[in-house]
Amino acid sequence: MTLRDIVRQLGLEVVAGAGWLDRDVSGGFSGDLLSNVLAAARPGNLWITIQRHVNVVGVAQVAGLSGVLLAGGEPPAAVVLAKAEEMAIPILLSRDGAFVLAGRLHRILVPDVR
Amino acid sequence: MVAAARANGLDLIAVTDHNAAGMVEEVARAARATGLHVLPGIEVETQEEVHLLVYFDDLSSCRDFAAEVYSFLPDRANDPELFGDQVVVDADETIVHTEARLLLNALGLSLEEVVARGAGRGGLVVPAHVDRTPYGLVTQLGFGPEGLRFPLVEVDGSFRPEECGPGAVLWSSDAHVPEDIGSRVSVFRMKGPTVDEIRRAALGEGGRSIEIRRGAKRVGTAG
Repeated sequence: MTLRDIVRQLGLEVVAGAGWLDRDVSGGFSGDLLSNVLAAARPGNLWITIQRHVNVVGVAQVAGLSGVLLAGGEPPAAVVLAKAEEMAIPILLSRDGAFVLAGRLHRILVPDVR
Repeated sequence: MVAAARANGLDLIAVTDHNAAGMVEEVARAARATGLHVLPGIEVETQEEVHLLVYFDDLSSCRDFAAEVYSFLPDRANDPELFGDQVVVDADETIVHTEARLLLNALGLSLEEVVARGAGRGGLVVPAHVDRTPYGLVTQLGFGPEGLRFPLVEVDGSFRPEECGPGAVLWSSDAHVPEDIGSRVSVFRMKGPTVDEIRRAALGEGGRSIEIRRGAKRVGTAG
């Protein structure tokens, strides 16, 4: 499943990195402690977080993540968006909270689990 | 606090309460004529839940910064049952102020905004216990943000200081109770206890240095 499929199915707003939505998503990861994301997220994961610091982009890059899904609706600062474009990291935005997003993402990525 | 600091041979301490600076003046007054210098400061929690120490030369700059910090603190009441009483006491331990707003919260200011505002008031910004989980800069943000350079960072007690060169790290007790005062000590070679001298010592300028005092043993006090 690609980021584009997920954007469409979850009704997400693409705020950066619209040119890289054909990336495959290997799974999801949810967390706000960036050191934990570096240690535990797997390459290709779509990362759900409420963090808005510019290091989110660097962490996504270093961990080889497919993109970042920002929960809670608040758009990040322009510097974050510029960095994301520069590093080719798609940033997706939703008004939903991390719990709801993780549930919806899990349902479409792992459809057999009930 | 002053007695414990002196008993442990300390010449310089900083008082850095969490998002508050109400106790600095009283401790500085108690230290007067004891040979102990008290650096005014505050420990700020940024939006990213990173703890930053901000040290000042003078009480009024520290107070002004604390008022600025307070204005970005969420307006949520403290529940003393859960988080304890938030009090300012005088030398006789009489409560002179009780803070109603919950101080342990994170401010609505980013790391970069706190650094700029603290430095703008003449403060020295030192990331606190950078390697601690949670609240350390490295823990919260994975690595130091691009474009920010800190001459000095405080490291946690679990950190092995020999992994860093001298002068790059602040090895301090982060004492939350008097019994911990003096448990971790740094030696500053500098001309006086000012934030500019500390900054220059951290950068190793003109023979100045900051080094870890190894094997420091805490000395107990009677009171």
